[in-house]
Amino acid sequence: MEITGQDAELPEIRRRSRLFALFAVLIFVLIACRLFYLQVIEGDAFYKLTSDSIIRTVTKPAVRGEIRDRKNRVLARMRPSANVYVLPRELVAESFERVRTALDLAPDEAADLWERVQAERRAPVNEKERERPLSVREDISRNAQAILEEAGADLPGVRLEHAIRRDYPFGAAAAHVLGYMNEISGEELRAKKQENYRAGDLVGRVGIERQLEGYLRGRTGFQKVVVDRRGIPKTNIRELVEGAIKQDPIPGNNVFLTMDMDLQRISERALRNANAGAAVVVDVSTGRILAAVSKPGFDPNEMSGHLSSEAQARILADRFHPLRDKVLTETYFPGSTFKVVTALAALEDKLISPDEHAKCHGYFEIGRRRFKCTKTHGVVALYDAIVQSCNVYFYELGARPGMLDRLARFGTDMGLGAPTGLGLNGEEAGFIATEEWYREQKRLNPKNEGFQVGHALNAAIGQETRVTLLQMAMLYAAIANGGKLWLPQLVERIEAPSGQILEDFPPRVRRELSVTADNLALVRQALVGVVNESKGTAYKARPDDDLEVAGKTGTAQVLRHMGRRGEPITSYEQNDHAWFAGFAPAGNPRIAFAVLVEHGGHGGEVAAPVAMEIAHGYFESVAPADRAAPRVGLPRRRSLRAPVPAPEPAAPLEPTP
Amino acid sequence: MMGSRAIAWRKLRFRFDWTLTLAMLAMVALGLVNLWSALQDRGPHLFSKQISLLALGLGVFLAVAALDYRAISRIGYVLYGIGTFLLVAVLLFGRVVGGARRWFDLGPIHLQPSELMKVLIIVALGKYLNESSAQEGRSFRHVAIPVGIVSLPVLMIARQPDLGTAFMIFLIFITVMLMARLRLKTLGAIMGLALVSASPIWRYGLHEYQRKRVEALLNPASADAWQSRQALNAIGSGRFMGKGFLQATQIRIRRLPALWTDFPFAVWAEEWGFVGCLIVLAGYLVLILWILKIAGEARDRFGATVCVGVAAMLFWHVAVNVGMVIGVLPVVGVTLPLISYGGSSVLTIMAALGLVMNVSIRRFAY
Repeated sequence: MEITGQDAELPEIRRRSRLFALFAVLIFVLIACRLFYLQVIEGDAFYKLTSDSIIRTVTKPAVRGEIRDRKNRVLARMRPSANVYVLPRELVAESFERVRTALDLAPDEAADLWERVQAERRAPVNEKERERPLSVREDISRNAQAILEEAGADLPGVRLEHAIRRDYPFGAAAAHVLGYMNEISGEELRAKKQENYRAGDLVGRVGIERQLEGYLRGRTGFQKVVVDRRGIPKTNIRELVEGAIKQDPIPGNNVFLTMDMDLQRISERALRNANAGAAVVVDVSTGRILAAVSKPGFDPNEMSGHLSSEAQARILADRFHPLRDKVLTETYFPGSTFKVVTALAALEDKLISPDEHAKCHGYFEIGRRRFKCTKTHGVVALYDAIVQSCNVYFYELGARPGMLDRLARFGTDMGLGAPTGLGLNGEEAGFIATEEWYREQKRLNPKNEGFQVGHALNAAIGQETRVTLLQMAMLYAAIANGGKLWLPQLVERIEAPSGQILEDFPPRVRRELSVTADNLALVRQALVGVVNESKGTAYKARPDDDLEVAGKTGTAQVLRHMGRRGEPITSYEQNDHAWFAGFAPAGNPRIAFAVLVEHGGHGGEVAAPVAMEIAHGYFESVAPADRAAPRVGLPRRRSLRAPVPAPEPAAPLEPTP
Repeated sequence: MMGSRAIAWRKLRFRFDWTLTLAMLAMVALGLVNLWSALQDRGPHLFSKQISLLALGLGVFLAVAALDYRAISRIGYVLYGIGTFLLVAVLLFGRVVGGARRWFDLGPIHLQPSELMKVLIIVALGKYLNESSAQEGRSFRHVAIPVGIVSLPVLMIARQPDLGTAFMIFLIFITVMLMARLRLKTLGAIMGLALVSASPIWRYGLHEYQRKRVEALLNPASADAWQSRQALNAIGSGRFMGKGFLQATQIRIRRLPALWTDFPFAVWAEEWGFVGCLIVLAGYLVLILWILKIAGEARDRFGATVCVGVAAMLFWHVAVNVGMVIGVLPVVGVTLPLISYGGSSVLTIMAALGLVMNVSIRRFAY
């Protein structure tokens, strides 16, 4: 056992630890003094400052920018409205009842709201902002507004907020271009955390509203106030609120479109007889879109904010698909409007000369298969083949070796098979088939027949490639202007609220077509013939005045075995799509257009009149000054009138396997 | 001599230090009451976790108390070595939480070796002082080795970075050395050095967030002082008698980060008022004074030093944590012993009190 207590240092430690004890007591006394100061002397002040204080953040919405057309007419703007909200934790039964009657809420609507109120009450208290108001109804009637405003302070937990609302003065016109707005979803809210969105914010859904959301939106401001339970504001807000107390909203920027609403209305009217269809008009010398109709459309006023469930069901059930933008997001076989591509490909690669003839017996035979023509055209050269839309002539071209790939090459060059670059509404690329693609299909699925020459024949008359309406309009614009394939544009410029130009979009050439001016001129001449030659497929639709229109009809067969969404296919859906694509005036092209009437039947009978009406309207009332143009007229017939000295039509060759 | 283990248990039974134990359990109980309130928004699983950690801590307390502390003293440096090794390991393999590498992820608990190190340093210091006698008082010559013992882990802890813990160890060290007859002249020189080095440490040694916290203290209106202002609002609004159990609305509504680890005192102050605060302070004071009394009665320098060290550890934790909550010290991550939530903190304090109990039951020769 050790001897203890002998250590001379121990008493010293004892002495010093007493000093330490004293020090500890002293410090604790000081702490107690500080607590006495905080809790007893200043206690009441702290209690008053903090008791029941509710931090309310009042958001100050930014005014969203306007959308205007090229003639400065307002297409989308904000207008005042009143919205009703409830604060779940402050709402009492009487005020809920008053709101219900004032707004005439349907029973299930009221029940749903009450349920949401209860859910919010059960939820844990949220950190700094204590309460999230629940939206009851937006844009209430003036009557309801008057009732609620009068009740005012007697309605605890109810808030009437004066808001501004998105308004589309032109209603359904150009709805797919403009788009609409509705409330941000919880998922988007999480994904866009950085972008300062709050629950209840409206966001642009489709069209320009969505594409230029960042420009149009502006920045929401806020003001934080601290109130006690009675709603009386407290003054020393700095003590309770973290960070900035207020921030002014920044209004959004204004967008100026290339669209012309006069032409838009003319175009929509021109499609009045179509159940479903689309039309797009572009400026030949800039590539700017002047009008874009997709029918049926929707009213963005109705879609914005809270769409009633019946309206939603009605829109979703509509078999003509009103929400689908048929100009950009739907692809079709171009039918005979594609023949310009086949013709240019053949001319460029010198497969034919313009004078070479083929003889149309009404069908084209290859192997044991017969490919039908629209009728028996007899002896036709390229000009006649386009004017009368003779399939046999193009079948013969299609049967040339490597024609499918050649068409793919030229089609791609002319902007098919890839999005035009407008960047709106998830624009479709379309589809171009190649021999390689067919071989690939065969490799993937041994039952697939792989490439057959029939595919090339179909491709030559536009039953293989799939295109969007805008692609065709751009292609015809390029033919019209001598080979410039423009990048289509919808937005001319974006201006800050001050008028300062933020973004300016000068026309941009996407590509110069790799075809010669001579060949383009040949094709243009034939397109004039389509409308103006008495045998032309669109002759009956020609304008009855001196306006010279050029273009091509198309009657695109639909895939009969394929119903959309697997629905049983109706006889309506077995009808061909009617096309017309062209430009005007022929002598000095200003506009190019593509028109499609879904399941409308014959292009010359159904689509061409629509296109003529649009072109006529444009030069009649929108831009009469552009009408003046030299007449192109019809070519002198050399080869056809004379008896054919029978240069054998190019014999159809069997494709090399 | 009979089996030493049997003797140890007998001593534990007959000389059991009830004052120490009851004071400790009182603080634990109080801490649990407070934790229940602080965790209102977090659900009960943290609470039950704390209960099991406290049970484990009690086991550690008894186990440490039962061993003869001279045996602990014999392996003092080994323990110190293990602790240092853990610190190295945590720097290499530790879990990064909030930008700092302080924890080992051991499934249900996160072990913080720096906490453990506090006790191990106290033991190592005790062993050194016990074995080196210095009748004339200690000067720089005698301080070299203890400084080495302390600075190695302190530097590693500061690298994690965890300046709060490093600073706590430094305070404990100074206190222990003062008790161990550090000459005043030497103390003055050390203080002088510390003052001289304050400026470069401020400029280069601190992280941005640490500087901000100190600035927040010096300038209470700044945005960074929001956290401590909320704590002050809560404490002040507790007034004399407090708002009552589970009524700490102010502190919870503002969701202070680390409410149950660093700011439990604010919850307590809001719910139990000035009176409640005095009770807590009194509880700690009883504990500290009792440990210092045991230090005075210890039969050797090891026992005395360890007790002084543990008392210093308790004292500085309480003073710094409460000082931070009442807005007189910058916000640092220092726990309130036995009341804060956290496994490493609980186990460390319990082990330390076990050492004190150990000394206490062996203070009288027989």
